[in-house]
Amino acid sequence: MNAPLLDARDVTVRFGGLIAVDAVSLAIPEREIRGLIGPNGAGKTTFFNAISGLVPHGGAALRFDGRDMLHLPAHRRAAAGMRRTFQSVQLVPQFTVLENVLVGMHTGIADNPAASVLGLPGGNRGELGAQRAVIEVLEFLGIGETLLQRVNQLTFAQQRYVEIARAIVGRPKLLMLDEPAAGLSPGDVKMLDALLRRLRDEWGMTILLVEHVLSLVLEISDRVTVLDNGRMIAEGSPAEVADDPAVKTAYLGNENV
Amino acid sequence: MERLPWLRRGFAPVLCVLLVLLAQVADSYTQYIVNLALIYVVIGVGLNFLLGYAGQFAFAHAALMGIGAYTTALLTSRLYWSFWLCLPLSGVVAAALGALGALPAMRMKRVYLALVTLAFAQLVVWVLVNWNVVTLGTDGVDVPAPMLFGWRVKGDTSVFYVVLPCTALMYWLAKRILESRIGRAFVTIRENEIVARCNGINVARTKTVVFALSAFYAGIGGSLYALTLGFIVPDAFGLSQLVLHFSIVVLGGLLSLSGAAIGAVVLTALPELLRDLQALQEIIYGLVLMVVILVMPQGIAGLLKRWGVLPREVLARNWRALARETP
Repeated sequence: MNAPLLDARDVTVRFGGLIAVDAVSLAIPEREIRGLIGPNGAGKTTFFNAISGLVPHGGAALRFDGRDMLHLPAHRRAAAGMRRTFQSVQLVPQFTVLENVLVGMHTGIADNPAASVLGLPGGNRGELGAQRAVIEVLEFLGIGETLLQRVNQLTFAQQRYVEIARAIVGRPKLLMLDEPAAGLSPGDVKMLDALLRRLRDEWGMTILLVEHVLSLVLEISDRVTVLDNGRMIAEGSPAEVADDPAVKTAYLGNENV
Repeated sequence: MERLPWLRRGFAPVLCVLLVLLAQVADSYTQYIVNLALIYVVIGVGLNFLLGYAGQFAFAHAALMGIGAYTTALLTSRLYWSFWLCLPLSGVVAAALGALGALPAMRMKRVYLALVTLAFAQLVVWVLVNWNVVTLGTDGVDVPAPMLFGWRVKGDTSVFYVVLPCTALMYWLAKRILESRIGRAFVTIRENEIVARCNGINVARTKTVVFALSAFYAGIGGSLYALTLGFIVPDAFGLSQLVLHFSIVVLGGLLSLSGAAIGAVVLTALPELLRDLQALQEIIYGLVLMVVILVMPQGIAGLLKRWGVLPREVLARNWRALARETP
């Protein structure tokens, strides 16, 4: 059996005396959609931020794509092929869609800076290739016509898609989505569902999905991990997790009180 | 201008030709003002990298300009180095010192960074005033006229033929840098450092680059300033110089390359136009600034872009070709 793409062991995040994420271990094989759920304050986003390298964290190991990430800063992890979106869409409002998505290609453009700035022959090959990739990914997402619009002129759903475009334009191995369905209409959620399946099946992407909308998570995840109070309380197929008494207790409270 | 591509493409060369024609007929004083305006284009573009694009509130630009000016003035007048060597060297010296500004910018936010860089700026002026043995203190330094292929660059018209190509080159370089991934990284760290990091942008390195780049422009501008004035004193690089730099960028338009140029021209010309109204000069100057900032938060360039007079600025190379391909 192949080693998992992401192998996190005993990831722990402390804020002062509070343990926000308590020794959570997670192994995701390639081409899997993994749901990460839990009630409010369960530590899902904090766990996400730890994996991305945004918050200081402890842990026994954090291997990604065969490399040790435990002590790498966030930008090195991103460069290694780990990309994410945010709960509230984070785009540069003054930028066009093109510029915003090109930011996702920052490490994918290998042009020599001097050759690129001075316009030497071949100096812009990476930049122009990146622009092609942006156009392709926007068409894939069905928002090709927004290419040169400023993002503050787009609908909320379009902005969310632009953020996803920025995350996937460099074809990362792991895509981490933090509540991508938040604020979307049921129709948009359906499109998102189809999109994530295509990313897994056609692009071979591995997806870690934090989501509040349980219907979406249980529908598309291959496996689901449940956090509560910073601890992992269950892991399994969507059906197993949905039937797990510990999960029911965490979400609904203890019925026997 | 967006609808008239020939006008957009021809604008810069035509402007240069017009300036050269003007140099044939202009009197020495007018030529001096034109030279100053061109130098402030370099200064303004440099500050806009830092303040506008990368959003770093640093206040050392005037001091770094002074460092550039003194590097050129002292090395040419006291060690008899060639001006043509000192010009790029002034940029490099300023860039090396300016890059240090990135250190406090790693950890501090806005107001603290502003205070630290302001303290640095005051320190530089203090050193220029008090380190008499080297800087000649408040007596100032004479800048000898440089030689170019046996031709002596003396007088405002001669200086103009040095300043114009330098400004054109610096402006072109700025445009090329901004349209690359480096320029987009500047704006991304201004907007959200977390987003920058999660997209593989090394924030520390990007800040170092933008502080050094901005200071390089200040240093080149300072060197040309020393050449134009022929005589410099420490006081020229104090607080009022700094206020002028900020005014240029804010009035012209943050996040706009042409804005910095427009701001430079307007703020060099405006005090001269008001020269006949000596008593009112400062008041009108201040009022114009306040009104512009209140009425046009995007500066003059923002307004002109909205009217379609100025072309859009998109930080991607050849984006217009892309726009034509994708209907």
